[in-house]
Amino acid sequence: MRNLYTGAVAGLAGMLVLSALATAQNAQNAPQNNAPKSPWKYYPADRAVGDGGPAPKRDLSGTWAGPSSGSGAPRQKGEVAPPLTDLGKQLYARNKPIGKFSPGGTNDPHSRYCDPFGVPQNMTQEIRGLTIATTPNRTFLLLQYMDLWREIWTDGRSLPAKVGGRDRDAHDPKYNGYSVGRWEDDYTFVVETTGLAAETWATKSGYPHSVDAHVVERFHRSTHNDLSLAITMTDPKLYTAPFNMGEVYFRWVPNQQLDDFTCIPSEQQLYLKEMGDPAGSDPNEQNPQGTRGGRGGRP
Amino acid sequence: MKTKLVMMVVLLAGLAAIDRPALAHHGAAAFDMSKPVVLKNATITEFLWINPHPLIKADFKNDKGEVEHWTMEMGSTVSAQLLGWTRTTLGYGDVVTLYVWPAKTKLPVGRFNKVEFSDGTVMRDTQTGADDGRRADGDVRQ
Repeated sequence: MRNLYTGAVAGLAGMLVLSALATAQNAQNAPQNNAPKSPWKYYPADRAVGDGGPAPKRDLSGTWAGPSSGSGAPRQKGEVAPPLTDLGKQLYARNKPIGKFSPGGTNDPHSRYCDPFGVPQNMTQEIRGLTIATTPNRTFLLLQYMDLWREIWTDGRSLPAKVGGRDRDAHDPKYNGYSVGRWEDDYTFVVETTGLAAETWATKSGYPHSVDAHVVERFHRSTHNDLSLAITMTDPKLYTAPFNMGEVYFRWVPNQQLDDFTCIPSEQQLYLKEMGDPAGSDPNEQNPQGTRGGRGGRP
Repeated sequence: MKTKLVMMVVLLAGLAAIDRPALAHHGAAAFDMSKPVVLKNATITEFLWINPHPLIKADFKNDKGEVEHWTMEMGSTVSAQLLGWTRTTLGYGDVVTLYVWPAKTKLPVGRFNKVEFSDGTVMRDTQTGADDGRRADGDVRQ
């Protein structure tokens, strides 16, 4: 038994050594670039060191690197979906997520056409860079991916009571809905959103939402360099309990500069024509993204 | 001791499961990740630096003397830049050797693995650039 245990330890050590060697080998493959750095360029390898000291009170302003920015921000926690209602099951069954079907078979409106993610998916998918800007009555979230901005009112107003439907006094649903924000404490900013355009998917894995979905985002700045975002969605028409949409982590970007990265419909169509559709799809695949952070979580 | 051994086996299994090839925008099911196709002395016909994935297009003359027109996708532009890629890394007329994880459809499309230039330099993909199909750089996400 002792030999087995020793063997397992040796195996683990071997794996770690091989992993380190592989990383070193790959680092050697990366070309060296000694060109002077430009203040106009995003350098994902330039990363904030340590925690940078205490977080300033009631201030999220600045530019942050998300988990898909290549900057080393921690990977996000994935969603945990609650049971669906009968209507929720019907809507969910229509969706063929790209994690399962690949580009050739998915009907994900973003993957096929670059349609907007909308809230809440645009806070859990393709989270590359995020700039937060604050004015006296609003906070703006400026997302690198899709060059997208969200408007969060902080003037004390309530969320609109009636969105969608045929009443003359109803507001129109919007991709990013209607948002209000408040400080829960000196380091936690809470955003509530409703009135979401129902044609968007709530998650990349194909979970739906209704126009009445109520999304709560909790931004917590624990240090100068660390920001987290936990998201919960309540949508009683489609789910029997609140939907834990996971947690995303950000790191401060030293030179506060981001790159350009967006989904361009013409490029997407070119990609699908030349590559995605010819490569086909395998609907028998067991949702590989369900085993990775940020995706999956079937009920 | 038995409990410790079981825990160790579970730990090893977990480590082995980490970082398996699964593509960021879509699953790897469309591709045969067991062995790359090698396109020796292929000629680049187009390098499209586009989203969601840059495309490499190349002509390859097979053993029968027939020219195959291949298209392969890479990881995203922002991640590829971390490994030194730019929109001019490949250009029309470049003669290189390409390694590709082929599509199961048997069409001449696939997921890019790596390229060998005539001077021996090797450039890899972000997510499937290692020789076993894993990530070329653990910090590169997608």
